Amino acid sequence: MKAKKLFSLALAAVMVASCVAAAGCGKKSKYTEFTMFAAMAGKEKDDNNEIMELIAEKTGVKVKETWLTGQDAGEAIGSIIASGKLPDFIDGGDGCVQLYENKMLVAWDDYLEKYPNLKEMYTEKEWDQFRMSDGKIYWANVFGNHYKEDTTTGHNGEAFWIQARVLEWDGYPDIQTLDQYFDLLERYAAANPTMPDGTPVIPYTCLCEDWKYYCLENAPMFLDGYPNDGCVIVNVDAGVDNPKIVDYNTTETAKTYFAKLNEEYNKGAIDPDFATQTYDEYIAKLSTGRVLGLCDQYWDFAYSIMGPFAEERNDATDGKAYRLDKIGCDYVPLGLTIEAGMEQEWHSYGDELNKASGCAVTTSCKNPDLAFEFLSRLLDQDIHDLRFWGIKDVDYLVDSNGMYYRTEEMRENWKSDSYNAKHCCQYSYMPQWRGRSKDGINYMMPDEQPAEFLATLSEPLKKCFEAYGAGNYADMVGSRVCDQNPWYPMWSWSNSISNETAGGIAWQKMGETKHYWLPKVVMSADFETDWAAYMDAYNAVHPEDFLAEAQAECEKRLADSKT
Amino acid sequence: MENTVSQAEKLKQLTEKELNKPKFTVKEFKRQWILVVISALYVIYGIIFYYLPLLGWIMAFQNFKYHEGFTGSKFVGFDKFKFLFSDGTFLQVIRNTFAMGVLNLFFGTVVAIAFAILLNEVRNRHFKKAIQTISYLPHFLSWIIVVSIVHDALTSTGIINELLLKFGIVDKAYPFLAKPGWFWPIVTLSNLWKETGWNAIIYLAAITAIDPCLYESASIDGAGRFQKMRYITLPSLRPTIMILLIMNLGNVLNAGFELQYLLGNGLVQNVSKTIDIYVLDWAINARNLDYSLGTAAGIFKTAVSLTLIVIANLIAKHKGDERLF
Amino acid sequence: MAREDVVFTVFNTIFLILFAVVTLYPVLNTLAYSFNDGNDAVRGGVHLWPRKWSLDNYKEILIERKGIRIGAKITVYRTVLGTITSLAANALLSFILSRKKFLFKSSLSLFWVITMYASGGLIPVMILYKYLHLTDSFWVYVVPGMVSAFNVMVMRTYMNGIPDSLEESAQLEGAGYMRIFWSIITPLCKPVYATIALFVAVYHWNAWFDAMLYNRLSPEYTTLQFELQKLLTSVSASTGGQTSGTTVTEAAANKITPVTIRAAASIATMAPIIALYPFLQRYFVTGLTIGGVKE
Repeated sequence: MKAKKLFSLALAAVMVASCVAAAGCGKKSKYTEFTMFAAMAGKEKDDNNEIMELIAEKTGVKVKETWLTGQDAGEAIGSIIASGKLPDFIDGGDGCVQLYENKMLVAWDDYLEKYPNLKEMYTEKEWDQFRMSDGKIYWANVFGNHYKEDTTTGHNGEAFWIQARVLEWDGYPDIQTLDQYFDLLERYAAANPTMPDGTPVIPYTCLCEDWKYYCLENAPMFLDGYPNDGCVIVNVDAGVDNPKIVDYNTTETAKTYFAKLNEEYNKGAIDPDFATQTYDEYIAKLSTGRVLGLCDQYWDFAYSIMGPFAEERNDATDGKAYRLDKIGCDYVPLGLTIEAGMEQEWHSYGDELNKASGCAVTTSCKNPDLAFEFLSRLLDQDIHDLRFWGIKDVDYLVDSNGMYYRTEEMRENWKSDSYNAKHCCQYSYMPQWRGRSKDGINYMMPDEQPAEFLATLSEPLKKCFEAYGAGNYADMVGSRVCDQNPWYPMWSWSNSISNETAGGIAWQKMGETKHYWLPKVVMSADFETDWAAYMDAYNAVHPEDFLAEAQAECEKRLADSKT
Repeated sequence: MENTVSQAEKLKQLTEKELNKPKFTVKEFKRQWILVVISALYVIYGIIFYYLPLLGWIMAFQNFKYHEGFTGSKFVGFDKFKFLFSDGTFLQVIRNTFAMGVLNLFFGTVVAIAFAILLNEVRNRHFKKAIQTISYLPHFLSWIIVVSIVHDALTSTGIINELLLKFGIVDKAYPFLAKPGWFWPIVTLSNLWKETGWNAIIYLAAITAIDPCLYESASIDGAGRFQKMRYITLPSLRPTIMILLIMNLGNVLNAGFELQYLLGNGLVQNVSKTIDIYVLDWAINARNLDYSLGTAAGIFKTAVSLTLIVIANLIAKHKGDERLF
Repeated sequence: MAREDVVFTVFNTIFLILFAVVTLYPVLNTLAYSFNDGNDAVRGGVHLWPRKWSLDNYKEILIERKGIRIGAKITVYRTVLGTITSLAANALLSFILSRKKFLFKSSLSLFWVITMYASGGLIPVMILYKYLHLTDSFWVYVVPGMVSAFNVMVMRTYMNGIPDSLEESAQLEGAGYMRIFWSIITPLCKPVYATIALFVAVYHWNAWFDAMLYNRLSPEYTTLQFELQKLLTSVSASTGGQTSGTTVTEAAANKITPVTIRAAASIATMAPIIALYPFLQRYFVTGLTIGGVKE
């Protein structure tokens, strides 16, 4: 016993000693090493990442990125602030303002003058939108910013999606309204009740989990033809200078839409588990290809089902091998409206500027000048290409016209997690461009390079796009092309509204009420009664407080845009 | 049989006598000096790591902003508490938390004890070890995994509905997860499933401390299995059971977060949300970093916990049972 | 054997087997997922056996990553050191609190009981650790959680059950308190020590939140579970972009943790603990004869 104890004590001592020793000897790198924290989920790069090394050779800087783990973004920023130890770069997400209030960020203003690459990211007017209460700029949103021209091919936003095979089966009809949409889904399901493996198809499902219940709740906004302001409709019937906030939850359209869902639910066309499914179950369902239609934003489901759709399957009842993407299970977006022939804005053209968050340099950074220089260098075309296209001849090839292209193998590589970890280094939360490359030939991002985009489409999708005369997803939605209003998007406000005001409290309560009632009215056996009860409960939480603050914010943004 | 009972009783009387507070004399103090010195070290440690941070409770009475600090933040008195208790949802989540906490405590304790005792009755060593090892394994799975299995089983095409349909008990899949009435039982059962084996470990350890002579003499007196369980095993476990009951009673308001969060949905939110989820919704998230509100909720929980264990402790004292302090 | 006994044994065995089957299911299910191909598993419906075999999940989590190696090392250190120190600290305090003649027994108990239920919350603790220089150090894993009131109370209860006569006779022979603790109480407390050691070791083995809070910027003190957590909540950051959506960025879009990776991580975490378990198990399953305890 005693000997054992002594042994373990000795063991402990050795370990402590080696711990201390291990802490003492960190290897010195020949590059300046910065750290970055992004309040998002993300994947860490390997320490000896190949492209990171190449960028370091060019810039003398390496950045170790860390991501959100097991904490909410706000919580993470809170604990980082409390710990007093900040990384050199930070993207605090919705917590950016907290960092500013705690005086933990370095102002961009002087460096913008010094580094034209950075300055070029936005126009003077756009930069002004980033200015905080002290008149300075502390961060820049890095996403969705097009160089020179808008070259968007995808539709990242929301839509009623439908499988390409359903459209093909009906000879590519023109679907404009909810009634036509559900009618087609029902007819298809009646004619083709099962998948190749014998499982029944699900005409329509809808995710309601947590904040992702937007899949259920905000369609009335789009159906009325408005863009994705997220929390409200901004009505401009009285002119752009006279915006009026309208609650999309209580419109006639909302009632019509939910009544339609209720009708379809009672007919059995809607997945009976829609209200209780988790996100994982939802994705699982979609990746079987059984779901014919859904309403969601592209990014929320598409990336997760790409892999399963491209799998070779052998479970068909007739024994033939098949692939879901090859039989037309890929989803196509439809820009539905409440009545036929209306214009709509499911797709927003132009860059959306979310000024509430972005990439920032912190006061903990020992060499802010180098940090900004690095950010600027990242926008140099050669480094930008390294970040998003990779290494020439390894990750992409160049044809005789100077056009970049990839082989199937290169595309597969680029999709693989492990390849990404050891080879690719996008510094994805640092300044970057979309749009046309500075060489005038290529595009900043491979997914916007037309040839690359087409190469990634499955046959049925290509056929479908052709049938509708659409070149890409955005064309398929067919939204009105128009300039964004100065207040757009309002969700960048509602996403950060705190509970300190009556409007904030109302917003929270509205969410709770809708979470409970919306699935209930859809599943109701007596829609009218339940809808009335829902409206009573909804009005009891004072949505008018929220709407009033939204109106004020909208007007403030309008006024700001004019000064 | 009688012999053992009277022996146990005697032992109890003896302990009770000794439990009476020792008299404070200089002589006694000197005799115990080493205990006192070591205790003092523990007290210092406790003050630093547990009591100093309690100064943070001041936040509950402020509109705490990190950059203004504890001294600079504006005092708002009892506003945060008023906010909590004037919100109908908060009262609802207290009810939910309490209900699920009590269900977990009751069934968790009873089933773990029953399992430990039944396992103890197994004569075959290998079988015993195998069962025990298997039983605690789910403890190491995260709730995410367990909930996904539970969720899977309860959907309209899940195994439960499949069975119900097969045996004609229902004619249409029953939406368990959409029914508020089923939420608490599902939570309780999930907890039992995951934690029974693990919770039984303490009781198994306590059973080993029982003097085998007690069983032997009971056998000689002709006691059967059930009598031995009833008159020896259970009474011997009593101090452990009591102490764990009292301690866990203080935890009923910590009835959980992950399980309810993962299992809940809009339709059952009125019964599924716990205090911790409420704090997440209202105070600690991307839109709000209201530590003051979170702290106020924490203070409320502490107050309830301490009240509960003081009462439980008083009852234990009255009954002459093992107690906390 | 009496008839009653036979009936009981049969039913008990059946019951326990049923129980084991029910509790084994989630583990086997996880095991099956961990060996299943990731893309295939997204469809769900894997039960006790993988549908499409793959070792990729284990490769993914155990791959040659520096973080995993360092994390594994630190986790072993903290588990060993943390368990030893914590067990010693808890045992000694339990010993003191179980002395029936100890003058401050009740008040010291209350002092520790309160610590179980009262917490100042995240922020004050962070600030305190910063002042104590515990942040960005290994010691934050060991020092703050050394004494756990819950474990102390469990141990104390066990020690209370040891007859006083032992202590008294030792005292008559001139033994001091420390001697009694070491030579009389400790050997008799093996089962409860084993139990508490298991609790503490499991806690340390699984801990990651403290690594994230206090050593976020010190990768040299990362823990195994923190590295696995990062993997589990990670996404392909390659798809950076802003949604026109209600919230979040596109990167968070792919936040679907492959179920298979999650399963493999769970199994990899469980394995060492399961391996350790039989060594501790004998203390509280086989039973222990406490010699010479009779009155």
